[in-house]
Amino acid sequence: MVVGDVTTAVDVLVLGAGPGGYVAAIRAAQLGHHVTLVEADMPGGTCLNRGCIPLKALLSSSERYRQARQEEPGVMGIHVEALTLNWAAMQDWKQGVVNRLAEGVRKLISGNAIEYVHGKGWFINAQEVRVEGEYGSHHFKFDHCIIATGAEAAPVPGLPYDGKQVLTPEQALALPALPAALSIYGDDYIALELATVFARLDVEVKLYSPGEQLLAGFDPAALRLVQAGLRKLGIAIATKTPVEKITTITEHPVIISNGVCPRTADLHVSDADIELTANNGIAVNSMQQSSVPNIYAVGDCIGGQALASVAIKQGKVAAEVLSGQRVQFAPLVIPRVVHTTPELATVGYTTQEAAQAGYNVVTGRFPLAASGRALTLAAENGAALIVADADNGLLLGATLVGPRAGDLIGQLTLAIEMGATLTDLSEILYPHPSLSEIVLEGSENAQGRAIHILTKP
Amino acid sequence: MQEFKLPDLGEGMQEAQIVEWLVGPGDTLKLDQPIVRVETDKAIVEIPSPVAGRVSEIRVPQGQVARLGEVLVIFDTGSGAAERPTAKTTTTSTAATNGATAAPASSVQAATQTGQRVLAAPAVRKLAFELGIDLAQVPPSQPGGRVTIDDVRAYAERAKAALAATPAAEQQKVESGVGAKVEAARREGQPPTTGQERREPLTGLRKRIAERMERSWRTIPHATAFDEVDGTALAALRQSLKPIAEQRGVRLTYMPLLITLLIPVLKEFPIFNASLDEERREVVYKQAYHIGVAADSPEGLLVPVLRDADRLTLIEIAARLEHLIEGARKRTLSLPELSGSTFTLNNVGSFGGSSGTPIINYPEAAILAVGRLQEKAIVRDGTILARPMMPLALSFDHRLIDGALAGRFLARFKDLVENPQQLMLDMIVSIPNGR
Repeated sequence: MVVGDVTTAVDVLVLGAGPGGYVAAIRAAQLGHHVTLVEADMPGGTCLNRGCIPLKALLSSSERYRQARQEEPGVMGIHVEALTLNWAAMQDWKQGVVNRLAEGVRKLISGNAIEYVHGKGWFINAQEVRVEGEYGSHHFKFDHCIIATGAEAAPVPGLPYDGKQVLTPEQALALPALPAALSIYGDDYIALELATVFARLDVEVKLYSPGEQLLAGFDPAALRLVQAGLRKLGIAIATKTPVEKITTITEHPVIISNGVCPRTADLHVSDADIELTANNGIAVNSMQQSSVPNIYAVGDCIGGQALASVAIKQGKVAAEVLSGQRVQFAPLVIPRVVHTTPELATVGYTTQEAAQAGYNVVTGRFPLAASGRALTLAAENGAALIVADADNGLLLGATLVGPRAGDLIGQLTLAIEMGATLTDLSEILYPHPSLSEIVLEGSENAQGRAIHILTKP
Repeated sequence: MQEFKLPDLGEGMQEAQIVEWLVGPGDTLKLDQPIVRVETDKAIVEIPSPVAGRVSEIRVPQGQVARLGEVLVIFDTGSGAAERPTAKTTTTSTAATNGATAAPASSVQAATQTGQRVLAAPAVRKLAFELGIDLAQVPPSQPGGRVTIDDVRAYAERAKAALAATPAAEQQKVESGVGAKVEAARREGQPPTTGQERREPLTGLRKRIAERMERSWRTIPHATAFDEVDGTALAALRQSLKPIAEQRGVRLTYMPLLITLLIPVLKEFPIFNASLDEERREVVYKQAYHIGVAADSPEGLLVPVLRDADRLTLIEIAARLEHLIEGARKRTLSLPELSGSTFTLNNVGSFGGSSGTPIINYPEAAILAVGRLQEKAIVRDGTILARPMMPLALSFDHRLIDGALAGRFLARFKDLVENPQQLMLDMIVSIPNGR
């Protein structure tokens, strides 16, 4: 890298090395491009460094701690004499997981001969980006550009995030010490997962939700199971709380999960004539093309659902499109997972949504309490809910509640995308005993012929 | 806020290109104020505002193609603003790919469609998009309407085979258009180019011409009969009528004369004013005589239609023809003036050509091309004479018409052109009111 304000012509320039950006960079490199990847922070982005991965690591460690304290080990004949919690060590282990994955991403970047530039980039015009970083200022004139700058916590007017009393979810995951009590504001999966982590670690948690219901778009029956799980952890839930009132209601530190907004403000998109959507996301078509030819955008910066799964796929699409392929981002369904106790996962339509969409709906239900595998896991709180078209048995949606629901949902995602029917799901074999059998029994129940529960008359 | 979708502007219209926005974001609108000029495959049309209000957002920029039912512009109508339903705005389901999107799949495809989805696995949908094929158009081979990879490939092959029939020079241009289903290609970047060629997508009129020609050439087994006609009498007739027509403000060319002479021949040979209903295997004889007239426009060939030519006097035909040709040049013709012909007469001569092989204007049964009147040496009764000769080329649908019949048709037309006074025998003298 050259010091000073020099212009370098590059083939593909990717702004942002999160799941959308680094995946786009790798796919573009696989397709024979010379790729320059610009990142102001760490490779791996929010998901790997400050979001999903650290959160899931803490969910996992806090769950083990919690389980050791519960009655189940005793029933199984395990007596825990003494149990201590070391938050600093837990943080270290979490950071170890993050570091290992980040190192993996770095190796993939260099292994694909991608030029990694540490710095912050913005547009000068529709062909050039200026990057300011440790090596000074630099101009890049690109043939193709992929914007993958992600999103950041949406600000709440009058409530600046100070990292002490008012925290973003990212800040909460790196708290130096565990507080005795915490308030969490939000109704999305992040709020629920944070509440779960801290409650498991004996923090007194109160959850404030803006509306009446938590987790919009999830099946109400499944939500009841999740809410019961939250209460069992001692989490108090207050509904219909206006966000601006939150600090007047509680004196404890508040974590606010108020959604994210696309990180586009510092990109100077107007200098490149890149159009934005109403919520400041970069406007793109299904081929991830922005309003400017040869400029693409993927992931959270376009302002859709902030999900790494979406960003990863969009990154591949953008790289393939700029390589001349005709592909698009058009998944039929997007699976969503919430790592509470019990775990919740859903894909496709809920019963209500399917009916609203005009389908003649048939549903199947199978409780975990009737599953042999669930009982051997001492986890009988949960169910499978299967939604199908009554006319032809076409699978329209599924909600799973219980251990590994987020892993099991993959099978149902494939089934919906392939256009599988209840008959398809009933014909194949499932390992026995296994949690995946709840999919079988749920599908059979929808056809009135589940074996392990009594079919309603 | 009110969305305004591209309305159905006429038969078979699927998409239109935005030629020019006449308003911009923030502009205040009156009801019926023209807001945008769009080019369909047939005409350039100005769309008036369906509301009074303000332009909030323009969704499809100038130069791009919008599909039927696609949102063009969003109006801010305030409350109680005048509003009326737009002309038949049928919402087409854009693609089968996200038919059953449950959670809003992405900001890009926020519109959840309730239409029944086309059953196809992800790999099939990917291939269809790659080939630019709308899955809803692919006939499924599997029970329950399931579309397979093979179905998509077979459909693509058929489309390709159809293309192979077009002349090689045209083919390259056409090919780039085949995959270009506009929906997703809207903002697609330039296709990869090498230094050796330049690619441009087929749009607007050119695209429609390509489709029409392709369809005609693919479906109709063409045969062409040639002849030559002595234009002495015709030229004399025109010379004698021209000054009188001019007094009435009409320029008399050969075309109106030829149309007038053609009508009795079409009436004598009704199969030439017919078409084949391919589905029901029936011949459809047309009672009306709407004569298509090939005309040149800056964007390409247009065939304006002289409706009910059999009920018009020569001077009326001449006057209307003038209007049609002028309208074609300026692209101002209305859709009825551009569709529904029953037989087409192509004056190759007006484009400067002496002759050519015409392609039938699908689904008609035949097309007659007349060339330029040129003095030629001909032999009559052992003597070489100089005569103004006009070449004729009659392409006909060989499924309906045999060579012998085509020969008789040409002979009869020739007879009339050489002896136009024969028309007097069947003429009802109609003098327009007021003359």
